Amino acid sequence: MRSRDLGGFWAGLFVAGVLLWSLITTDVELSRLLSAGPRIADFFGRMFPPDPTIMDEIWKGSAETLRIAILGTLGAVFFSVPLGILASETMVSAAVHRPVRTVLAFIRAIPLILVAMLMVGAVGLGPLPGIIAVAFHATGMLAKFYAEAIDGVSRAPIAALESAGAGPLLRLRYAIWPQMAPVVARDTIFRFELNLRESLILGIVGAGGIGFYIQTYVRSFQYDKAASVTIAVVIMVIAIEGINVALRRRFA
Amino acid sequence: MMQNAIHIDDLSFGHHSAEQRAIDQVSLNIAAGECVALLGPSGAGKTTLLTLLDGRLRDWQGRVSVLGTPFEPTRALPLAKRADTGFIFQEFALVERSTVMRNVLNGRLGRMPGWRALLGNVSKSDMDIARSTLSDCGIADLADRRVDSLSGGQRQRVAIARCLAQEPKLIFADEPVSNLDPSRAADILTLLTSAAQARGATTVFSSHQPELARRFADRIIGMRNGRIVFDVATRDLTDDATAALYDDTDPASGARLKVVS
Ligand SMILES: Nc1ncnc2c1ncn2[C@@H]1O[C@H](COP(=O)(O)OP(=O)(O)OP(=O)(O)O)[C@@H](O)[C@H]1O
Ligand SMILES: [Mg+2]
Repeated sequence: MRSRDLGGFWAGLFVAGVLLWSLITTDVELSRLLSAGPRIADFFGRMFPPDPTIMDEIWKGSAETLRIAILGTLGAVFFSVPLGILASETMVSAAVHRPVRTVLAFIRAIPLILVAMLMVGAVGLGPLPGIIAVAFHATGMLAKFYAEAIDGVSRAPIAALESAGAGPLLRLRYAIWPQMAPVVARDTIFRFELNLRESLILGIVGAGGIGFYIQTYVRSFQYDKAASVTIAVVIMVIAIEGINVALRRRFA
Repeated sequence: MMQNAIHIDDLSFGHHSAEQRAIDQVSLNIAAGECVALLGPSGAGKTTLLTLLDGRLRDWQGRVSVLGTPFEPTRALPLAKRADTGFIFQEFALVERSTVMRNVLNGRLGRMPGWRALLGNVSKSDMDIARSTLSDCGIADLADRRVDSLSGGQRQRVAIARCLAQEPKLIFADEPVSNLDPSRAADILTLLTSAAQARGATTVFSSHQPELARRFADRIIGMRNGRIVFDVATRDLTDDATAALYDDTDPASGARLKVVS
């Protein structure tokens, strides 16, 4: 057998092993698996009809989610401006931008919901831990985007300002910023959309917003109310998507 | 009184990735107030030489002093010294999304106190200088237009206005008319050389057009493969010397030129 065929053989064996391992070690009895279908059907049955009397809660929850996304994005912009500068190769040396980029990659790697849980532990229940978590999590991506926007501009005008005697900050302000502004606007709006979408579920871990109601109603077996909140969330996601498509068209 | 605007002694430089030197043992003096043209085929080293004299290259060998300031071979020129030399770039190097006025004011950044420049606080005298250079360049009416809406000739005027607004004592112009039709090219060089003369500034411009060099320069330097092959007063330049400068079949350098151009 040639080495390439051998590689395929080992890969097949590995996949088979992984599947076997998951099947054997997961505690799923055949009887439970068989009865899961009817149970899920029953669950959905109890969700209908959705309870329309909780509009107040839905509005309150949605407004809080929106506030978390707005303030979280604001926080992320606040931290991403300096960090984006420190992560760009145009503005700082490799000794600075390499470690900063590594830190940003680590921040991105931590799931938002995990950050939110930690923040609830740190500052207590409510929208504040949600805002902090969104700001932290989004900075990992937004600072990277800002750095790429800085590094993506045309170099000649920067050299021209350098030639005229302008220092790094003046070059950033007058040669780099005018070129990167549309990219920054587009990236920030994109990140805001993600923040809004992701913060819909933050309430599940107690970090504020509409997700709180889903968790409350499911735990107290009020599935018809949970259904109303779920429908509201779906409508919001579709609305965000629509707004985003419209904005993209403007920036294209 | 300063004798030489530029003094170069045995200067050599090679770009990082290049195996051949872009500037090879060049020695040269240019007196204050002179208007010098730099001729030579593509890859001769014109842009490299002008960039080096503008203080933006390091790791060269030899001695260079510009406007009486000796350059340090291992360091780029300190910012504070930059404002006295102006540079007009081959491809304009304007900020496309900014207005003409903003681009011209950018030329004054090295002359403004840093904090005020950063806040966008333009003094009346800076504004007056920008306005008068705009009208000297014949584009006063374009002040509020964005650069990305201008023609090539208009852009070149903005680039010149930015350089003049800097009030440089020495002007480097890298192929300032290469993107223009013949009659525009003559207009622009007239504008540049007469503005430089009116301000008593020394001018060095590179070009691929020997006729324009003859018409506008007092002195013409021919470069090839990083070396100076002639350096004469304009009236002493022969057609043979010009032809030889661009001759691809010259056995000494033909092979390299084919690769470059
Ligand atoms: N950034 C760079 N990195 C590596 N080599 C370079 C770089 N810039 C220029 N060179 C090389 O240096 C030599 C001189 O180039 P330079 O741009 O100074 O020539 P030029 O006379 O201005 O040519 P042109 O008339 O085409 O503008 C060329 O061989 C070129 O390939
Ligand atoms: Mg050139």
